[in-house]
Amino acid sequence: MPKREQRLVPEGILLVRNNIRTKGNIFGVSSKAKWAKGLGLSSRGETLFFAGCGYQFLEGAEATLSAVRALDRKGLSWEKTLGVTKFLNRVGINLGDLYGRLTSYSHPFGEPLRCSVEVLQKTGMEFGYLSEEEPCCAGPLYYAGFHREFATRAAVTYQTFKERGVKRIIGIVPSCTYTLRELFPRFLKEWNIEVRNFMEVVLESIKGGMRFRLPQRVRVTYHDPCILSRYLCLTVEPIEIFRCVEGVELVEVEHTKGEWSTCCGGGGGFEVIFPEVSHILAINRVKELLKTGASVIVTACPGCLIQLREGLNGLKAKGVEVMDIAQLLQRALPE
Amino acid sequence: MSTFKAYKKRLREAARDPKISLALSRAIGSYRHNVNEALEKFPQTQRLADEVKQIKEESISHMEILVEQACETIRQNKGEAFVAKTPHEALDIIDEIVGTGKLIVKGKSLTGEEIDLREHLQEQGNEVYETDLGEYIIQLLGIKPMHLLAPAIHVPKEDVAKLLSQVTGEEVPPDIKTEVAKVREILRDKFFRADVGMSGANVVAADTGTLFQIENEGNIRLCSTAPPVYIALIGMEKVVSTLEEAFKVAEVTWRYAGYSVPSYVNLVSSPSKTGDIEKTTTYGAHGPKEMYVIFLDAGRSKLAKDPLFREALYCLRCGACLYECPLFAATAGNFGDKYFGGIGAIWTAFVTGDLTKAAPLTYSCLTCGRCKVRCPVGIDAPQMCLELRRHIAEGE
Repeated sequence: MPKREQRLVPEGILLVRNNIRTKGNIFGVSSKAKWAKGLGLSSRGETLFFAGCGYQFLEGAEATLSAVRALDRKGLSWEKTLGVTKFLNRVGINLGDLYGRLTSYSHPFGEPLRCSVEVLQKTGMEFGYLSEEEPCCAGPLYYAGFHREFATRAAVTYQTFKERGVKRIIGIVPSCTYTLRELFPRFLKEWNIEVRNFMEVVLESIKGGMRFRLPQRVRVTYHDPCILSRYLCLTVEPIEIFRCVEGVELVEVEHTKGEWSTCCGGGGGFEVIFPEVSHILAINRVKELLKTGASVIVTACPGCLIQLREGLNGLKAKGVEVMDIAQLLQRALPE
Repeated sequence: MSTFKAYKKRLREAARDPKISLALSRAIGSYRHNVNEALEKFPQTQRLADEVKQIKEESISHMEILVEQACETIRQNKGEAFVAKTPHEALDIIDEIVGTGKLIVKGKSLTGEEIDLREHLQEQGNEVYETDLGEYIIQLLGIKPMHLLAPAIHVPKEDVAKLLSQVTGEEVPPDIKTEVAKVREILRDKFFRADVGMSGANVVAADTGTLFQIENEGNIRLCSTAPPVYIALIGMEKVVSTLEEAFKVAEVTWRYAGYSVPSYVNLVSSPSKTGDIEKTTTYGAHGPKEMYVIFLDAGRSKLAKDPLFREALYCLRCGACLYECPLFAATAGNFGDKYFGGIGAIWTAFVTGDLTKAAPLTYSCLTCGRCKVRCPVGIDAPQMCLELRRHIAEGE
């Protein structure tokens, strides 16, 4: 094997790494719990809701990504603009925060998160949320190749959970769920916290008698996020859930579903290294999904959500929307 | 421009090219149809693939011994056999055999591509013809192959017609049948006038010294029989213990390449010979009088000892994973450097020993994992890409 060469790590990846190291989240913003205002979530509990990084910054991330793509399309080195961001950070101006404040007027923060909490509350389950104290799972460090840094952070994260007496975690972001469930035990021998994905919890409640019903009939197709389908092997669960939601007419994509699903183009940090190509892959995936004739594309991952929305915009497809499974389920909650 | 930047630009331009995505989406559609049909028709393939995984695990774990054994057997069969440590060594051996001013016909070979064999032979003053139809088109266009099995996967028939019209000086219509017939006509005479024929092999049996070549066109068959001298350049990882194992590897390879049955499987074990006059064995009957087999190491023996990456050597080069890669669907062989896709990142790192080339590839892998679902021997290329990233970011 040739000698290591850290300078070969792409800049987009280094930015994410820097954000995790300095701000404890992938986007480099200072506050990450605003979305939970007014939900009355306890900050303690043996069972924790793990919000992760993706969803609450969805709007910001979407806007940033499309700006970056515009630069990338023109062949401009968009990584350079990151230098500006770093400079502003040093003088105390945080663009992520600023953007967050601006968008909070027009968009409700982290809608999929609020929806998933509402759904979980309806199941009768008790759980807490660590709010601003929630550690970053730091999975992207692992994907970027910085395993030692990942391991160090994982140990600290485990301490945080242990001190608070956490026994179970419900993950909503696929990548965080996978990181906590599969990667943490690989790096921490003592790890003994049970990690489940939101969908597994919902399906269990459905089997226990919980009912969902949409106000009107909707043709739904499902996009399997790679981490859920191929890494966590959750391919049957979403389909079973859809079958139990009254009003959902499930139209599945041909061949490219379950373990054969096509990546949205946002996997493994690809979107921060190759923004324009990533957008083209998103368009390709949306084309496959649109062949089903569905009016709603449902997925269960913040990364896929952004990619598919952008893909849909790129195709200028009308009359179709992309939503998270939590949003769909919230709309189908019993009164 | 840095390697990474140049690569990014290439990837972006390829992704924007509607010709590539159209050609690829057609190819992927027909591949899925063909492979499903082939697997349904031969339901034992899955079981065979599991066996092949074991065969590969076993053979890679003592690869160097098997290669030695294969060399010994080939020598007993009256062929010549060599192990080349580096591409440079391989080219030296080939130069020694070929010399200069020769007419050479070549079968498509990734291992040849790896060491820039055709370019080298031409630089030595030889006239070289690629004889695989797709590869011939690639050679005429002066570009790089875009797929393992279908190198000209991204070139439409209109472009082929233009190209052949230029070569022949007569108007060739954009009709696939006419084009195929035209290439046959051009190359036919080359096969029989050639001084040297060359090819690779899909698998080699150490016990009998037999090279297996899977093909449909019949060009490899001609390359290995028509000229008086035949040279095979083969990656060391291709050797398995027995003829029986080699048959299994071959069948799984073509099946996952999307074929129920290929037109030809050539089994070559020695130079051509006859004992028809007084039972005296004489070499060079209708086929070549001389046969040379060169096994290329170029990082493979190191790779075979690496517990995290040795799995890359199980690759049968069936090309199935590429049809499942969303990035390959948009950019074809631009996602690669001679070796394509996620698995290509690992191969590039080890055979070139150059992380500058491998890093952009390993960070391009979406790590989506669909290639692994398709791979007959279950190679986890995404996991290896993540390991390679760790290596780049942190070192050993």
